[in-house]
Amino acid sequence: MWRLASNWAAEALAVFAKDWRCEFRTRYALNTLALFAFTTLVVVSASLGPLGTSAARGASVLPVLLWLILLFAGAAGLPRSFVHEEETHTATALRLAATPSALFCGKLAYGLSLVWALELLVAPLFLAMVSLAVRSPGLFVLVLAAGGFGLAAGSTLIAAIIAQAQGRSTLFAVLAFPVLLPLLILVVELTRNAVAGAPAGMALHQLLLYDGTVTIFGLMLFPVVWNP
Amino acid sequence: MKTLLPWLLWVWMAVVIWAAFFYSPLAAGFIGQSSRVLFFHVPLAWTAFVGFLAAAVWSARYLFFGRRLRDDRAAAVAVEVGFVFCVLATVTGALWARIMWGAYWNWDPRQTSIILVLIFYGAYLSLRGAVEDGEKRARLAAVYALLGVVVTPFFFFIVPRITYSLHPDSVINSRGEVDMESRMLQVLLAAFAGNAALFFWIHNLQCRLRALAEGKARP
Repeated sequence: MWRLASNWAAEALAVFAKDWRCEFRTRYALNTLALFAFTTLVVVSASLGPLGTSAARGASVLPVLLWLILLFAGAAGLPRSFVHEEETHTATALRLAATPSALFCGKLAYGLSLVWALELLVAPLFLAMVSLAVRSPGLFVLVLAAGGFGLAAGSTLIAAIIAQAQGRSTLFAVLAFPVLLPLLILVVELTRNAVAGAPAGMALHQLLLYDGTVTIFGLMLFPVVWNP
Repeated sequence: MKTLLPWLLWVWMAVVIWAAFFYSPLAAGFIGQSSRVLFFHVPLAWTAFVGFLAAAVWSARYLFFGRRLRDDRAAAVAVEVGFVFCVLATVTGALWARIMWGAYWNWDPRQTSIILVLIFYGAYLSLRGAVEDGEKRARLAAVYALLGVVVTPFFFFIVPRITYSLHPDSVINSRGEVDMESRMLQVLLAAFAGNAALFFWIHNLQCRLRALAEGKARP
């Protein structure tokens, strides 16, 4: 039993390590995510002008912009983890090498580390460039972490689906956004609360529930998506 | 008997439409005759909901019980026909909103959630369009249909928090009672039965038509 579990963890870890090694060879996803996010951030900050928005309006509008930047940057880079396997015809080897659930967890860990790295870069820059003050930083960080998890979990399953279809890049946005929409509404609401210093309320429970649901559902259905 | 059933359905629907205008009384607190939209809008929405749920059941059956393409076809047709019912529910709702709320569209929570459902199943249909291979298409679409059943309930908690709804109580109100004049309730339930029968009749025809077309394509 212990042996099985450690095998499973070793497989997941190997997938995670492999993805990062591939990533460092080209730095495709990192460059895409970081540059996309940074460019959008500059566009947002520049169009708001040197004075930005009023504090009251900013507290309700700016969280939306932050999450839109993160969502679209994620959509530009996250589907790559599975699309890459199909493009380089390595998917079959991967099917032989790893159990589906370990593979899903490894890919999820890779996507999650990518999103968290992105947030680490974007969130402080965003707060500085649009001069947004956050009253409860603890909640803000928690929402970024849990929201990033939901983003990675939802995207991983959708990426596995679209990798086997045609017109992948556009299809990802079409399929992922309806699934990620509840997440987006929740994190925007929570980020507003963090900015205003209001309590998190039910939305935080629902965010964690969403994360858990999507992860468990992904684990259950990923083998069906992955194995022909 | 089988040829008689569609005729029975036509008569049934004709009687329901007649009853909606001449048998049922008007509900209190509505402008003019606008409450009569109830007998068209609500059954359409319910039937669309039943259709989407049936699509999820057929998808699960495809994935976990035998992988028969028949189940996949049934799921796909259920979403397509359900989509039409859902669009009609949205349009009838918008027409009513123009009379009661003054605008066709004003992002009432009910309008928000129905548009999200339409977007989701639109995405399902475009996924089906993007995969050519029958077995693969069936597998991926079934997973997405099941994902819809898991994700969309979140909207029921989330969307009402954004704004207050002006939408009238559903038939079973928040106190858990049926609060409706009995003649109205009779017509409403009859209309629902008619719409559901119409849905499954169209569904059956479409499935058979598609099975024939696919059989012909494959020698």
